[in-house]
Amino acid sequence: MAIVDPIINGLNSGWLHTDGSQLKENQQFEADVVIVGTGAGGGVAAEILSQAGLSVIMIEAGQLRSSTDFNMEERVAYPNLYQQAAAMKTSDKAIGIFQGRSVGGSTTINWTTSIRTPTEALAFWEQQKSVKGLSRETLDPWFEQMEQRLNIHEWKFEPNRNNAALKQGCINLGWDYTVIKRNVAGCWNTGYCGMGCPVNAKQSMLVTTIPSALDKGAQLFSRVKVVKIEHHNGKVLALKAQALDSNSKPTSVELMFKAKHYIMSGGAIHTPVLMMRSDVPDPHKLLGKRTFLHPVLLSGAIFSDAINGHSGAPQSIYSDEFVWKNGVAGELGYKLEVPPIHPVLMASKLLGHGKEHAEAMANFNQFQLTIALVRDGYHPDSQGGQVRLTDKGFELDYPLTETFWRAARRSFASMAELQFAAGAMKVMPVSDGMPYFTSWKDAKEGIEQMTLAPLKTVVASAHVMGGCPFGEDEKLSMVDSYGQSHYLENLSVMDGSIFPTSLGANPQLSIYGITARNATALAQKLTDGREPQ
Amino acid sequence: MNRRTFLLGTFATTAAIALGVNLYSPEFSSTDEQTEGKDYRLLFSVLLPVLLDGALPEVASHKLAAQNRTLDAINQSIAALSESQQDELFQLLDMLENRLGLLVLTSSMTPLLMRSPSELTQMLENWRYSYFSLMQTAYLGLRELVMASFYACPEHWSRIHYAKPVLFK
Repeated sequence: MAIVDPIINGLNSGWLHTDGSQLKENQQFEADVVIVGTGAGGGVAAEILSQAGLSVIMIEAGQLRSSTDFNMEERVAYPNLYQQAAAMKTSDKAIGIFQGRSVGGSTTINWTTSIRTPTEALAFWEQQKSVKGLSRETLDPWFEQMEQRLNIHEWKFEPNRNNAALKQGCINLGWDYTVIKRNVAGCWNTGYCGMGCPVNAKQSMLVTTIPSALDKGAQLFSRVKVVKIEHHNGKVLALKAQALDSNSKPTSVELMFKAKHYIMSGGAIHTPVLMMRSDVPDPHKLLGKRTFLHPVLLSGAIFSDAINGHSGAPQSIYSDEFVWKNGVAGELGYKLEVPPIHPVLMASKLLGHGKEHAEAMANFNQFQLTIALVRDGYHPDSQGGQVRLTDKGFELDYPLTETFWRAARRSFASMAELQFAAGAMKVMPVSDGMPYFTSWKDAKEGIEQMTLAPLKTVVASAHVMGGCPFGEDEKLSMVDSYGQSHYLENLSVMDGSIFPTSLGANPQLSIYGITARNATALAQKLTDGREPQ
Repeated sequence: MNRRTFLLGTFATTAAIALGVNLYSPEFSSTDEQTEGKDYRLLFSVLLPVLLDGALPEVASHKLAAQNRTLDAINQSIAALSESQQDELFQLLDMLENRLGLLVLTSSMTPLLMRSPSELTQMLENWRYSYFSLMQTAYLGLRELVMASFYACPEHWSRIHYAKPVLFK
């Protein structure tokens, strides 16, 4: 059965798409709104603004790829669809970061988990970070709208064995667990969401809002990198961009984009980087500061029967048993989930080399992996990281504090207890020097004594947030609660960079819902001059 | 002599000096056009049997084929890295091809090719458990590059009983 490719069909129908690598000469373009980035924020904003009758240009540094290109192999997906070929790391190399880099951004390659912004996070933002008007009551209609738009529903099928182990452990221990809502329609349950959906079941921006905006006449530029925001006297005048070649290297072609309004949706690293590089007003030196990850710890387990962690919906169960257990601003909490297990992902995260590594890989199909996503940004000793400009681009400095390591140790214990409760034969906290434990009692003692340290303990993350926070107090925020810049009258930010802390939940639905609210308000303002109430 | 031949010859010679041989081994000759100017094939060909011990096939000809396949994949992996990542990696590889660099990283000027597998294993273990983050980073960088490149190849999936689904006939 042939799979319909909506991108190829759309291009054949006359969508306005320009591949920067094909451009030969400098050019200038104009629209009502120019959006930088096509991920969760950029995609939603593009659809809403183009539906309001505004002319929209979307600019994306990554390539335009589609289901025809998604061959379910990591060697193709990582260089084509991920920032730095999925090898991005913090400046000390202690944390590996997965971020998307193609049309659709991270929504093209995420694992579909869709969770509304936790009430605790919204309350903290209102009380501590001067964010106004974003309670669950006010946001829920926006979440409902986006859940309908993107087919976000509870996963009604049996979880795969990897997720089932998480569920069974929670049941046996009496811990909280939740069936995940996923943004899929007609999912084939193959387990390859992280490499781009080959059957267009995942309702990413690539197959939903971006085609919708293009159908309305929006224009898409791929392989074009915005390098500078030209601004003067509190107003953005233009965006300066470079065309990229097929290897993502800049060509000599320079482009200029002009608009009534400009939206930054490049994500929590590239939005602050672009704003810093452009010297936008930042009197309180907030840009790039308080950048948050959900730093992730990993616990591997061997089961007697097949887990086949590569097969089936990658995430369908989570546990919030420990996320808010110590109070919002108390000891750091962590969410328990599982990731898909594919060869490169597993081989690069498993420790050691030679026979030790080969023997671990030989258990590939019996390997169950549980992850703990640590909630950063609420405790006084959890200030996150900082994005800095460098001669060659940027770096993310993300010190891992004692407070974090205390949470890491607790999370290793929780994960081991859970895995044994689910029937694991042996469990190994993924930190160099740790053995496989064969009982929860031994694991508990071993984890209490284990040495935790950067480069020794594997830490990864797929969620980057903050660095350009929203709120009403200019000492705490760069943009207001609608994403409108405090300093540049025609600039808004609509992506995960506006979050003043991490979320304690996978971020895609938070970005969809809050962007839908803010982009709708912007559309009203641009079409009839009404300011948001 | 075109530029590519000259560069390959230069780097092969540099590598050969560090590794303690005089000739570039033809069995590891590169066919990848992407890595013009930088070729650490011989260096990796020394490290692969140690890092991938237990994962490589036991039959000699199959083992050689798997190593060659991985060396090609390493070149492709390096080409996909960002410029700053490539720079850092090349600094490390240059040090390993340079006797002074070897002394700094391994406390010995003995070229890598003249070291036994157990000595190479010891070198990697010293980096792995070093108190210096530079050494740990060097270990992790090389390890991740080699492991990711080896397991990226579908030819190497049978041992772990993994195959992607066949969606369409």
